[in-house]
Amino acid sequence: MLFFTLRRLLLLLITLLILTLVSFTLMHLYPGDTIVNMTGIRTTDPLFYEQLVQQRQLDENLLVQYVNYLTHLLQGDWGQSLVTNQAVANSALPILMATIELCLLAMLVAMVLGIPLGVLAAVKRGSWLDKLIVMKSLTGYSIPVFWLAQLLILLFAVQLNWLPITGQLNPLYDISVNTGSVLIDVMLSEQPYRWSALLDALQHLLLPVVVLAMMPMTMLIRIMRNAMLDVLKRNYIKAARARGLSESRLLWKHALPNAMQPLVRQLGFQFSLLLTNAIVTEVIFNWPGMGSWLVKGIFERDYPVIQGCLISLALFVLVVNTLVELYHAWRYPQVRQELYAES
Amino acid sequence: MKIRSTLLSTGWLSLVGVLLAGCQPQQRPEPLQQGLIYCSEGNPESFNPQLGTSGTTIDATAAQLYDRLLDYDADEKRFLPALATDWQVLDDGHRYRFHLRHDVQFHHTDYFSPSRTFNADDVLFSFRRWLDKNSAYHRVNGGSYPFFTATGLDQLITAVTKVDDYTVDIELQYSDSSFLANLASDFAIILSAEYAQQLQANGYPERIDRLPIGTGPFVFEQFRKDVLIRYQRNPDYWREGPYIEQLVYSITPNANKRMLKLLTGECDVIPYPLISEIDTLVDNRSIDVSSEISPNVAFWAFNTERPPFDDARVRRALSYAINQAAIIQAIYYGNAKQADSLLPQTSWAFANVSEAYEYNPARARQLLDEAGYGRLSIDIWAMPVQRAYNPNAYRMAELIQADLARIGVDAHIISYEWNTFRRRLARGEHDSVLIGWSADNADPDNFFRPLLSCAAVATGNNRANWCNAAFDNIIFDAISSSDREQRQRLYDRAQRLVAEQMPLVPIAHSLRYQASQASISGIKPPAYGGISFRQARIDRAATEEQ
Repeated sequence: MLFFTLRRLLLLLITLLILTLVSFTLMHLYPGDTIVNMTGIRTTDPLFYEQLVQQRQLDENLLVQYVNYLTHLLQGDWGQSLVTNQAVANSALPILMATIELCLLAMLVAMVLGIPLGVLAAVKRGSWLDKLIVMKSLTGYSIPVFWLAQLLILLFAVQLNWLPITGQLNPLYDISVNTGSVLIDVMLSEQPYRWSALLDALQHLLLPVVVLAMMPMTMLIRIMRNAMLDVLKRNYIKAARARGLSESRLLWKHALPNAMQPLVRQLGFQFSLLLTNAIVTEVIFNWPGMGSWLVKGIFERDYPVIQGCLISLALFVLVVNTLVELYHAWRYPQVRQELYAES
Repeated sequence: MKIRSTLLSTGWLSLVGVLLAGCQPQQRPEPLQQGLIYCSEGNPESFNPQLGTSGTTIDATAAQLYDRLLDYDADEKRFLPALATDWQVLDDGHRYRFHLRHDVQFHHTDYFSPSRTFNADDVLFSFRRWLDKNSAYHRVNGGSYPFFTATGLDQLITAVTKVDDYTVDIELQYSDSSFLANLASDFAIILSAEYAQQLQANGYPERIDRLPIGTGPFVFEQFRKDVLIRYQRNPDYWREGPYIEQLVYSITPNANKRMLKLLTGECDVIPYPLISEIDTLVDNRSIDVSSEISPNVAFWAFNTERPPFDDARVRRALSYAINQAAIIQAIYYGNAKQADSLLPQTSWAFANVSEAYEYNPARARQLLDEAGYGRLSIDIWAMPVQRAYNPNAYRMAELIQADLARIGVDAHIISYEWNTFRRRLARGEHDSVLIGWSADNADPDNFFRPLLSCAAVATGNNRANWCNAAFDNIIFDAISSSDREQRQRLYDRAQRLVAEQMPLVPIAHSLRYQASQASISGIKPPAYGGISFRQARIDRAATEEQ
């Protein structure tokens, strides 16, 4: 396991290095001045400009430049935004947290609803319930996120007036941004009205989370159903049934744990898909996360912000994937053996 | 097993129930009672209106954070005292003496505590910031003051001197009838000299425009780009108001979303509702729609420094080619007047020169042939935001594109994000642009000097880059005179010259619309300059009982 962990971590490190190489190349390829793209500092003072070039070693060869670039990145100097002149690394953290909050909650909802429905469909295979679940999950899978979001907004916000349309919180609640995750921020705040603010935050979260959860949920239902069917056909299930184990014990103790394995393997991949949808969802719901920031950065040609978004998003996806893989390997040792072709 | 799942589902249901129950507006928690949400259409460029001319910045800052020496009352058409209690015109209009108000407090915030009240030093500092190139703050945050350069105030004023702590003299190079109107505009705000000094001593002079301090009705608390601006009531305000505790600008660039958020109650007031939906809004009893004839003009400006637009015949031809009546119907749904001149029909200096702007494609083609252009290919820049004068520039560009195709001119439509768009325009990178102008004050001069003078070419506000010596002479003669009849004759000539030379085609003068919840009162769409929340009142109880 130790060796496996080290291997995975090394792979993560190499991927990250390649990523920085790409973003370094982009800095040179973006239109405009490379030094401005990297630092986000526009200056008309030739002396100060020269100083920046020296500091970034842009007069040296590309390798030295890259090493210098990497050092700056590692020290947390991601340049400043061309629009707001704020340090990108400082702004990135609360923004990333807003995205993480949204994604984790959506993933949670997808799992809490998707796994039981998948199991149910497999157990009742062929029944009308199974057909209904499969059909609904296929429909859910084929509705594009932006369309679903508009429909839900029109129904729940505009027609029924139950839920708000956009944002994290009613802006009149004066909750300061500490972590960027609105639920944590509200609970950390000392305001006397924080419970009503918390309720308000949950109302704001409901629609984006449901929209975002839809796609992974339908995927999880189908994966879970197939995996379960696969396991239920196995001989040890038949043997257990022959020994007279109760149906529920059979399901929960023997079938489900084994059926979970392909699902866990898929989780990392599902998460990457989820993040792509998160960008669209954030823009629609004005959620102040990475997706909105990236799209805004692209519109405003704010290169340091675009770079900051790319690096944080990629880092987030890679770390989640590595964690899922590590958990998978730890929970199901046979995976590690398959990997090394041990018998 | 069964029991557990039932428990689980009841849990879920009750959670959903609690969530939904919270939405009923029975009892609003305390901060929601006396707070107002204004859904603005974009981010302010800074928190100092001196630095720009963008309507979004003015709406967000000018009337909320700051005061001017005097105000203009559009209904009564006269000047009202503000930070100056009264003023005298001396030396034949070459010197103005202002007596300042006592006991006016600057804002108290986390980042600044004033040790003294407002006095002449603050006036001197605020004027010198844009007037005096050698003042310490002149170059801070860009050093460009487009309104003052374009109106020529920076040339007009020769000195600002302190007579005593509460008296200031402003000396002018020549007498100028638009001087007081310009001082009453949203740009001529008063900053705190003490705050500036303190920032400079600490080495952060650039913060003066990001963490603002003024004397206005609201105190700055927080700005999150693309999310919100938060203001709190100024408890020490020197005159009546404000009546609301908290004012939040929720930044919502998408016009559809702004409308929906008004319907769901997430916005209390929105600017620029979709003109196509105004009729539906008017029918809705919980929503008030108000409008104001704001002196403005939407126009299509040609970059006269670039061929083929350096030829007046081409410019006139393009003007004949577009069907303005159709544009008024399609873009404004009839809620605008077709332009008969650069000045709106409501101005006292208006001259009807509509024959120059008629729709006549045959004449257009003929003029193009005379100028020697067979097929022509041009770019039209369409601004990406809605303004009172132009709710949908992109759609307008498409209509013009179709009109131009009929006379054999190919047009390409170009658009950028708003701040980028303005930056590139100022650099003169465009062929032609669909943009416009909202007047900052009541003087007709405000339509000429900021838009078409040679000085405005230098600041990049003259979208046509048109510098005409004869025209400059006329408008300068007009402002140095205070005889209305003579001024009217001069502006008449100016309007004819613009129609003849056609640096731009005026298209429409529109109404400025604003929609708000019925529980909100005291906010009028501004005729000049930006919106003000000083007199806003909220009466949520009344509407909820209905």
